[in-house]
Amino acid sequence: MNTMQIDTGRLSEIGYDSCVASCGSFMVLDHTVVESHCHIEGLVVLPLKQAFDAYPHVREKLFFNAVASDSSDTAQQAAGKEPVGYYVFVKPGVRIEEPLQAAFLFGETGSRQFIHNIIELGEGAELNIVNGCTTATHGRSGIHVGITETYLGKNAHLGYTMIHNWGRAMEVFPVGAVSVGEGARYISNYVGMTEVKKIVTNPIAHVASGGSARFYSVIYSKGDSFFDTGARVLLEGKDASGEIISRVVSEGGTVISRQLLAGERAGTFGHMECSGLLLNENGVIHSIPELKGAHPDINLAHEAAVGKISREELGYLMARGLTEEQARALIIRGFLDITIEGLPGKIQSFMEEIISRSVEGSI
Amino acid sequence: MSFLKITDLHVSVEGKEILKGIDLSLDMGRTAIIFGPNGSGKSTLMGAILGLTGYEITQGSITFKGHDISRLSVDERSRLGIGLSFQYPPAIKGVRLRTLLQTLNRHTPDKIAEYAQLLNLTGYLDRDINVGFSGGERKRSEVLQLMMQMPDLLLLDEPESGVDIENISVIASGLRIILEKDQPISKRKRSAIIITHTGFILDYIKADIAFVIMDGHVLGCGAPGEIFEEIRRDGYSKCSMCFAEKFYKESKGAL
Repeated sequence: MNTMQIDTGRLSEIGYDSCVASCGSFMVLDHTVVESHCHIEGLVVLPLKQAFDAYPHVREKLFFNAVASDSSDTAQQAAGKEPVGYYVFVKPGVRIEEPLQAAFLFGETGSRQFIHNIIELGEGAELNIVNGCTTATHGRSGIHVGITETYLGKNAHLGYTMIHNWGRAMEVFPVGAVSVGEGARYISNYVGMTEVKKIVTNPIAHVASGGSARFYSVIYSKGDSFFDTGARVLLEGKDASGEIISRVVSEGGTVISRQLLAGERAGTFGHMECSGLLLNENGVIHSIPELKGAHPDINLAHEAAVGKISREELGYLMARGLTEEQARALIIRGFLDITIEGLPGKIQSFMEEIISRSVEGSI
Repeated sequence: MSFLKITDLHVSVEGKEILKGIDLSLDMGRTAIIFGPNGSGKSTLMGAILGLTGYEITQGSITFKGHDISRLSVDERSRLGIGLSFQYPPAIKGVRLRTLLQTLNRHTPDKIAEYAQLLNLTGYLDRDINVGFSGGERKRSEVLQLMMQMPDLLLLDEPESGVDIENISVIASGLRIILEKDQPISKRKRSAIIITHTGFILDYIKADIAFVIMDGHVLGCGAPGEIFEEIRRDGYSKCSMCFAEKFYKESKGAL
């Protein structure tokens, strides 16, 4: 099967477009890799099973290492399946500007999809990956499990963007773990803007000395969606830093937003911001920010707020001639707009486009 | 036909009557000043003209460009051509000033940069509206938004409060563009009502008439400079009745 047989509209909604400049592409439909290529020296993109043969250390040292196979029911289920997913490797010192694009499509109604991805960046390497997950037009209900293990070498940099565009009958269980090496930087962006039956995910980052891990998420909950999402950043090395910023808009369903920042060594620094906006009485936002300090020389802080759109702000914009719908859309778009330092402008623009489209479609 | 005509206007805020029968009219291209002590109803009058939430018209009417706007929503009145410079504009986190200006802009796109430069706000275009702005920056941001909006009736609620002398001149330069003050009076199409306590803005924006409001009533109107001098000299309580009778009978509040 090639990409021509897949609904390109669904693909473009998750940022996967074969016409857009990228350093490589990877696509899975159900349990089959349908596209896997790259054209940059120093970058390897392979189906995981092939990578086991080509690079033995992937199976021996990276596979079910950051995520232990017995760490959760989800991981245990995935461990019993044949691995389908990518292995991405960037050689030390190679810095890649164009993003790698990956798509995971669910097409077989009623089935379970198990994905396992491994990302490895050598010392000083840089890469951005845009992952999109969606249902193909014929796949309406089912379960998706996605394991992602990430290993960043010293001073490496990875921007990892995930765009979820599931259907309302899908249950989704992503499991992620990141090992952030000395001085390395990891940025995760999560965008979930469509109705979904259930998403449960709580990735963890272990950050070594001088490294940083930043998690940004924007969620627009609709209908009967259930999100139990979050991030955990364990600042294990001296002077490690972390940031977790979460923005949730709800017009229905339940969103549980869990965040943990833990400082274990001297000089660690972390900031957390969890904001929720309730558009009506149909939704629930449960924000659970946690800070854990295990050393006196740390600086961890959080802000959390859940509320509604301010009447004063609405009135102000309407006094400028905007209709109530236009004013609400502007405020919601602004609320969800997170400018992420270090994220390529192209990806930032695409995220803004997705958010705008979704907000305008909802208001 | 008056550009703006307010007849026997009664307005309540949270159930308390603040305006108790205001009569006032203003012609196209004219600028009016409103004087009055704190709590007299000046800001309530502006809120009622624009239709802000919380200002309930219980009696009377407001006619603007021939339309009775008393029952129109705030955004409908704004789109008819009424614009307000808020005394205390809110901060809106996440919404960049540039985004709002692009939405409001009635000129070519390059005017945003040009007018922002005029108001020393170039560095603020990509900041969230009023977030972390000083009092003076907020006032300049209000004028910049109005310059994009170009309303036919400009309502300015203490545009110079919290603004240093240098920046009053900057604000006034923007307002003069909106009000076409470089045109002969007969050619001006835009009008303004300005509330001022200090009167500093009068050094830069020449007003054509002044109204004095006390306790929810218009007590009088007349030449802005003379009235301002009387208020400065004698205070509101002493001078109000004398000039109110004198000027209001002559002009009936119309210019």
